[in-house]
Amino acid sequence: MKRMMIRQEQCTGCESCVLSCAFAHHDTFALDWSCIQIVRHEEQGEFTPRVCIQCEERFCVAVCPVDALSVDPEVGAIRIDIDACIGCRACETACPYGAIHFVDERSVPVICDLCGGQPACVATCQKPGAIRYGEAGETE
Amino acid sequence: MIENRSLEQRVLNIDLSRKSIEWQAISRDDERNYLGGRGIAAALLARSLSGPIDPLSPDAPLIFSMGTMTGTNTPMSGRSNVTFVSPATRLYCKANVGGHFGLYCKLHGADYIRITGRAEEPTYVWIGDDGIELRSAGEFWGKGVRGATAALEAIHGQDINVACIGPAGKNLVRIAAVMSSVYNAAARGGGGAVMGSKNLKAIALSRPKRGLTPHDVSLFRDVQAEMRAALYQDTMSDSYYTYGTAASVDLMNETDTLPSYNFQRGSIETIEELTSQYWNEKKLLKGRIGCASCIYSCHRFIRIEEGPYRGAYSAGPEYETVSALGSGPAVDSIGAVQRSNELCNDLGLDTISAGGVIQWAMECAERGVLPPEMYEGLDLSFGSAEAITVLPGMIARREGLGDVLADGVAEAARRIGGESWKWAVHTRGLEQSRVETRGTMGYALAFAVNPRGPDHLHTECIAEFGMTPEMKDLIEKITGSAELARPDTTEKRAEIVRWHEDIYAVSDALGLCAFISTAAYGASPERCARLFQAMTGIETTEETVMRAGRRIVTLERLINLVLGWKEDPSQYAPWRLMNETIDMSGNENLILDETTMKGMVQAYYDLHGWDRETGIPGSTVLEDLELGEFSSKESPC
Repeated sequence: MKRMMIRQEQCTGCESCVLSCAFAHHDTFALDWSCIQIVRHEEQGEFTPRVCIQCEERFCVAVCPVDALSVDPEVGAIRIDIDACIGCRACETACPYGAIHFVDERSVPVICDLCGGQPACVATCQKPGAIRYGEAGETE
Repeated sequence: MIENRSLEQRVLNIDLSRKSIEWQAISRDDERNYLGGRGIAAALLARSLSGPIDPLSPDAPLIFSMGTMTGTNTPMSGRSNVTFVSPATRLYCKANVGGHFGLYCKLHGADYIRITGRAEEPTYVWIGDDGIELRSAGEFWGKGVRGATAALEAIHGQDINVACIGPAGKNLVRIAAVMSSVYNAAARGGGGAVMGSKNLKAIALSRPKRGLTPHDVSLFRDVQAEMRAALYQDTMSDSYYTYGTAASVDLMNETDTLPSYNFQRGSIETIEELTSQYWNEKKLLKGRIGCASCIYSCHRFIRIEEGPYRGAYSAGPEYETVSALGSGPAVDSIGAVQRSNELCNDLGLDTISAGGVIQWAMECAERGVLPPEMYEGLDLSFGSAEAITVLPGMIARREGLGDVLADGVAEAARRIGGESWKWAVHTRGLEQSRVETRGTMGYALAFAVNPRGPDHLHTECIAEFGMTPEMKDLIEKITGSAELARPDTTEKRAEIVRWHEDIYAVSDALGLCAFISTAAYGASPERCARLFQAMTGIETTEETVMRAGRRIVTLERLINLVLGWKEDPSQYAPWRLMNETIDMSGNENLILDETTMKGMVQAYYDLHGWDRETGIPGSTVLEDLELGEFSSKESPC
């Protein structure tokens, strides 16, 4: 199954992915509401994208005390049951990739849904190619 | 719930003398007429001027302006401008800058930040989620850009964004830049000195919480996707990504078109280390840095790992820096050039002007005009790596020879005297950027009529070289003939320059990178019009958007007239370029003679409908462009 792949050293920190994700999901360019975030270290020219990579372990699903998280069988993304989520942030803490965050005052996590199989962020990262969506081991 | 900022454009007016902070709405008419960014900043500046002004006085405004598309995912829309009266030229100046400062300002709702007055103590502006404050910058007032940014991050957190000055701005060095996102320079014209004169160290912003939704989401999506596809397909896109702005340095050196030895020659003996091909091959390229929403990533990040300059690191060097601090002073070591670039960035110096004054000093020393006691112990010969790595600090701190150079090459020549003015490569006080305009007639005309001085970033008509199919197509569209895509003819240069002026004004107003409106053409006038309409809801066509560009260009001429600008054929190009020849491969004895220049300038004035002798736009032109508000400003004071 396809998954998100990150090549951190290729990231230029442009945040096209961040803005495009927020716009694709919410019709607005609100940085915090993007499922992909970038940790910036401008002085050293280093940027680290953080987004769900559909890991094998699914720590977030396992840790959720109310089973609000599950795996979409079609694309492998994490699905959120908004009604069930109690906003305890256990998933945020459990994710070793720092790929889950909460927006202030919001009780549900912001997690990549792979845009149903056509991630908006990937489409904007063609040139640096820091984020890709494909089979593991697949060549470009 | 997501909180969106309003689509209404607003100015954040900060008077540092009165310690006042006020918001002001931009009218819908101003948006329609001047589009945003550079255009509205010019209107704000024009309305505040009634005659010549001391650029370093408290009354002189310093205006940060974000593009109308900045803050969105429109490809390459992360640019902003800093507009002011230049302490170098005493004329209008706008300096364009990338990074993420514009994105942060825009999402905070600050489309423009106008600073006036002078703070009693060193100050910085903090724009946070809870409001805007003026805070003491005393503890990091003298620090470099890296140190000041780190100090602000220690106070406010790692995810802030900062625009600031370094020691050069603090010491009112007239070639000082305003730096943003650490390595991005609003470089030209001395904006850093204007900021320093206000006792303003920095503007820092928290990572914005609010969003921005275009007026017409569907149209917006369509146009930006179309633009993105066009940009990826462009012939130049791979080159920008792979090699950055210094892609053609070796070719330029080979063809003697790379300004060298203070514009006395077109090449240096050994160029290899100054080429981006070398940086890639030797793995000095550690990464690329993208301005907000950039999809080309031309900005390099280079670290030196061997030799005397081991450990030097910075974003860049860009082409301009490679030529200004490399071929210009005839230094062929990437280590030395990157150390010099790193110092200029940290001290907050414009690398083009810093390189300009250093190579001028080298020529003065070589010709025996500079008193040796002025540079005792410093190797000031052409090729001296020591000179380019020691002098930036001396200039920024105004020490010894550095103090002579700190006010730019024109003022330095006045102080040193003799014939040193002849090799001071500037017009009206601004050092020429790194283009050999003898033999490139479109560029020569563009530099002659550029309101801020001899420089490429108002009108880069690179298309006249016809290097790619897109360039030839554009020249054909403008002139009717692809055959005119050659730089050695004066034919139709006025038309080519005016088209580029208009689209540049549009892209600067929308916050788009120069590379997509000139070299890559993804931002066609038609796409710019649809983008602007999608964002603002103001009905716009290709014709009206280009007309707005022309309105901006004309308004900038009016501002200069108020500031005392007068037509002067001797200022069409630096003296050296109009009086000394240069040989390029295949072309010998190239020179910009006054008659040829005057012919091109008059054709350009005719095209604009400006007076062909005085360069003044008449009342008919002003009425036609709906600039009647400024008609009283058409006569020089």
